[in-house]
Amino acid sequence: MFKKKLAIQLKKVAVSYKVRASFFKTSKYWALNDVTFDVCHGETLGVVGRNGVGKSTLLRLMAGIISPDKGEVINNGVSVSLLSLQVGFIQHLTGRENVVLSGMMLGLSKLKMKSLMNDIEAYADIGAFFNQPVRGYSSGMRARLGFSVAYYAEPDVLLIDEVLGVGDADFKVKSSEALKKRIVSDETVIIVSHNVNTLRELCDRVVWIENGAVVMEGDASFVLDAYSQSNKDRRCNKKQII
Amino acid sequence: MKYNSRYIDLIFQKASSDLKAESRRGTLGLLWWILEPVLYVGVFYIIFSLIFKRGDEAQISSLLTALIVWKWFDSSVRQSSMSIVNNTGLIRQIHIPKVILPFMVVTTSAMKFIIIFMVLIVFLISTNGAPTAFWISIPLVMFVQLVVCLAVGCLLAALVPFLPDIRMIIDNGMTLLFFLSGIFFNINNVSSDLKFYLYLNPMVGLIESYRLVLIENKWPDFNMLFIIFIASSFVLFVAQKILFKYDREYMKVL
Repeated sequence: MFKKKLAIQLKKVAVSYKVRASFFKTSKYWALNDVTFDVCHGETLGVVGRNGVGKSTLLRLMAGIISPDKGEVINNGVSVSLLSLQVGFIQHLTGRENVVLSGMMLGLSKLKMKSLMNDIEAYADIGAFFNQPVRGYSSGMRARLGFSVAYYAEPDVLLIDEVLGVGDADFKVKSSEALKKRIVSDETVIIVSHNVNTLRELCDRVVWIENGAVVMEGDASFVLDAYSQSNKDRRCNKKQII
Repeated sequence: MKYNSRYIDLIFQKASSDLKAESRRGTLGLLWWILEPVLYVGVFYIIFSLIFKRGDEAQISSLLTALIVWKWFDSSVRQSSMSIVNNTGLIRQIHIPKVILPFMVVTTSAMKFIIIFMVLIVFLISTNGAPTAFWISIPLVMFVQLVVCLAVGCLLAALVPFLPDIRMIIDNGMTLLFFLSGIFFNINNVSSDLKFYLYLNPMVGLIESYRLVLIENKWPDFNMLFIIFIASSFVLFVAQKILFKYDREYMKVL
C-alpha cells in the first residue's frame, strides 16, 4: 500500500463554548473533548454522529473558522472551505455583482471571478435574473446562484455539512450529481452527516463521533454498520424502559 | 504579501458594493449620498441660524465644516464597533481575518465623506471666496483623521464581541464627545486648565485643524497633528494585535 499525503491532522483537539450561567459566572461547555484523526489528500472522509455531538464544530475547526482550546489542528498548506451558499450576498446587488463579491470572500481574486463569470452564469441557469437584484429572487434561484459560486470556488479540501443538493427539484439533482462527481474524483472531501446511506455511497473512510470524542474510525461500511447497530440498540433500550 | 493584496481588494470591493447597494435602496438613488448629509447639517443650520439667530456667515461655515468632519468619525466608530457582531452570519461560514471588517466599514464611510466634503468645498468657495495655498494641507488632515477612525473603530470592534454591554457606553459616549469636540464652540475660548482634557479627544484637534485651513486660511498645527497621528497609530497597532490574537475565538462568543 502506498503512503498517502496528509492534508489535515487533528491531534487531541478540544473545543469549548462559554455558557453564561449567572451574572458573574460562566461555565464551559465542551463541544469536542478529544478528537484525533488525519485527513489524506484525495480521500472522501465521512463524519457520522447524532445531532449535537459536535459535528459542525468539527467542520468549523477544519475550515479554520475557530481554533481549538486544547490540542492542535495542523493544516499542511491546503485551502479548506465549507460548502457555504450565498456567502456575503447583498440583497440590493445583482446576481452578477454578488458573484464577484461572494467569490472574493471565498478567496478568489477579482480577475479570476470575472473569467469564471460566463461559466457561473451558465451553470446557475437563471436567465435574465442574473442581472437583477438578488432580493427579487425566489429561494430556489438564490440557492442556484449560491451553489454555482461555491462550486466554482474549488478549494483543496471541500467540507460539506449534511446537504448535497440544493434548490428546486431539477437543480437538486444537478447539484448533487455535480458534487458526487467531484467526490468520486480525486478531490479531498469531508462530509458530515447523520444519514448512513449517503455516507455509505460516497465515503472511503468514516469517523464516528459521540459526545465530542471519536468512537470509531476506519473503513466506511465497517464503521457505519457499527453505528447503525448502536442506534438500533439505543432504540430497543428506550422501548424497554417505557 | 499575496494575502495582503487579496484582502485589500476585498475591502474595496465590499466598500464599493455597500455604497452601490445603498444607492439602490431608495428611489432617489445616488442623490441620497448628498441629500442625507445636507439634511443632517440642515437641522443644525435651522436651529442655530434661524431659531437662535446666532452667528454670521463665517460661523455658519465653521459649524458646517465641523459637523461634516464629525459625521465621518461618528459613523466610522459606531458602525465599526458593531462590525464583527453584525457579520456573525459571514464569519460562521468562512474564515476571514476579523481585522478587515472594521476596515471595510471605515472605507465605506470614508468614500461617503469624500463626496460630501466636495459639496462642502463648493459651498465654502461660493461663500468665502477662492481656495488658498493653505488648502493643500487638507489631505494630510484627512489622513490623520482616517488613522484616528481606524484606531478607535478597530479597538471597539475587537472589544464589543467579548463585552457586549459597552455598546450602551459607546452610544452615549459618542453623544458626549459630539458636544465636547468644539463643534459648537471655539476651543480657544475655553479656560486653559480645561483645554488640556478636551484635547485628549482627538476630534478636537482635527476639527480645529480643518477650520484653521478652510475658514481662517492658515496652516494647521502640525505638531498637534503629529501627536494625534502617533497616539492613534499606537492604538491601531494594539487593536490589530488583539484582533489577530483572538481571530478564531470570536465565533465562539457570538
